[in-house]
Amino acid sequence: MTVKLKGTERDVVTIRWIPKYTTIERLGHWIHTTTFVPLAITGLILYMPFLQPLAQGEAGLLIRLVHRVAAVLFGLMPILYFVVQPRRFIMSIREFMFDKDDIGWVQNAFSYYLLGRHTAMPPQGRFNTGEKMNGLIMCVTWVVLGVTGLAMWFGKGTMPAGLFQWMVLIHDVAMIAAVCMFLVHLYLAVAHPLMWAGLVSMRFGVTSAAYAAEHHARWYYGPKRARQLYEEAKKKVASEAGH
Amino acid sequence: MTRVAMLIDETKCTACRGCQVACKQWNDREGWEYSKTVNTGSYENPPSLSPQTWTRIKFTEYDGPDGFRWLFLKEGCLHCGNPACVKVCPTAALKQQSDGRVTFERDLCNGCGYCSQFCPFSIPQLEVTNPYTGEARSSKCTFCQDRTGNGLLPACVKTCPPGALAWGDRDEMIAKGKARVEALQAMGFSNANLYGEAQVGGLGRLYVLAEKPAAYGLPADPKYPALADVWQSIAQPLGGIALGATVLGVIAAFFITRRNIRMEEVE
Repeated sequence: MTVKLKGTERDVVTIRWIPKYTTIERLGHWIHTTTFVPLAITGLILYMPFLQPLAQGEAGLLIRLVHRVAAVLFGLMPILYFVVQPRRFIMSIREFMFDKDDIGWVQNAFSYYLLGRHTAMPPQGRFNTGEKMNGLIMCVTWVVLGVTGLAMWFGKGTMPAGLFQWMVLIHDVAMIAAVCMFLVHLYLAVAHPLMWAGLVSMRFGVTSAAYAAEHHARWYYGPKRARQLYEEAKKKVASEAGH
Repeated sequence: MTRVAMLIDETKCTACRGCQVACKQWNDREGWEYSKTVNTGSYENPPSLSPQTWTRIKFTEYDGPDGFRWLFLKEGCLHCGNPACVKVCPTAALKQQSDGRVTFERDLCNGCGYCSQFCPFSIPQLEVTNPYTGEARSSKCTFCQDRTGNGLLPACVKTCPPGALAWGDRDEMIAKGKARVEALQAMGFSNANLYGEAQVGGLGRLYVLAEKPAAYGLPADPKYPALADVWQSIAQPLGGIALGATVLGVIAAFFITRRNIRMEEVE
């Protein structure tokens, strides 16, 4: 859109906002974040040998306490989401299911997100494949970390030592998977130029219509129209490549 | 430095439990268990090792071919040559000294309790000082680290009236133990054996036993927990590499993306 500003004509970006997340979902996300980060930091202090001085004595007692307080909130949050908004919860789980368009996303993701080449992307739902992978890792590790963590917390001395040893090992492997995924998620959310709307929607609950049309076409247009647009885009790319 | 060891001749032990008292006295352990004696059907007391009891005489009622007999076992940390507790301790509160003693610094301990779960003999005891916050400290026999580190005998060895305990160079203790086993066998104790010469990297606590280890409740072939190595030597470095690689990858991706995507083109 073009407007007149102080005598000169300038292009102004207008954004139409559409709702994406409920308040409970955003609150849940930030509880998840503010408990995950302390959990990861206190866990890594016990895990990484070079952080050993922080794990010793009184400091160590404190980080263990912080870890368990944060763990309770971290563990309860998804359950509270389910209790407070069960329909939204189930809807979100459904939208996190993988489908055949995810294969196309993986094939195109490198050139699209890293090299900035606007190739035709298979239409994505409310969550794209990357978000689904993040969701999958977070759901699996939530369960694994919860089960092994509770076992280590309450099972020490009552469960067989051999089983406890497995719990420690599995807890650590799941932690590594979760923290690696978190780092990628953090980068995409705060630093990737194409993903500017992600942080906005997690803060304010809305996303840009134009952004949704490009990145979440199946959610924005519906499956039929999104498919049609995708086929057209593919033809266009192919004809351009032909010249 | 050569290894030191404690040789415990269980055939000389009279279960006077002077070692238990000397241990508590030197190491400032409480004796409250004695005021809460519980009848467990045996003369042994207290019923198990605890944060306050680092050594105790275990009573086994042995019904052998020659009739009923007591078997006494002076329980406590066995100071493995290959200590899993040291391997998994995240605070270095547990250390293996150059003479083989596995020492413990309470000030460094944060009470995680991994040592108690990885010990092949289940020796370290977790002293929970606050059940709500989970505040705890590990505890175990240190071979009286402050005495033996200064050329003194461990308190239990110093006090043992029948001379069942000996302390010194590990090779000498093994030779002494083997000679005693031979003498016992000559006396008719055909099952007499020396326990601890090769187990878990060679134990710092050697037992002269009149019967097979199983009769005393000792594992004949205690195993170093393989998961301690899988965790500390494989999973931990690999995890560190994975985290480092992710951080570097994300930073690299940031610069590559910034070069390739012009912000003006993004709505």
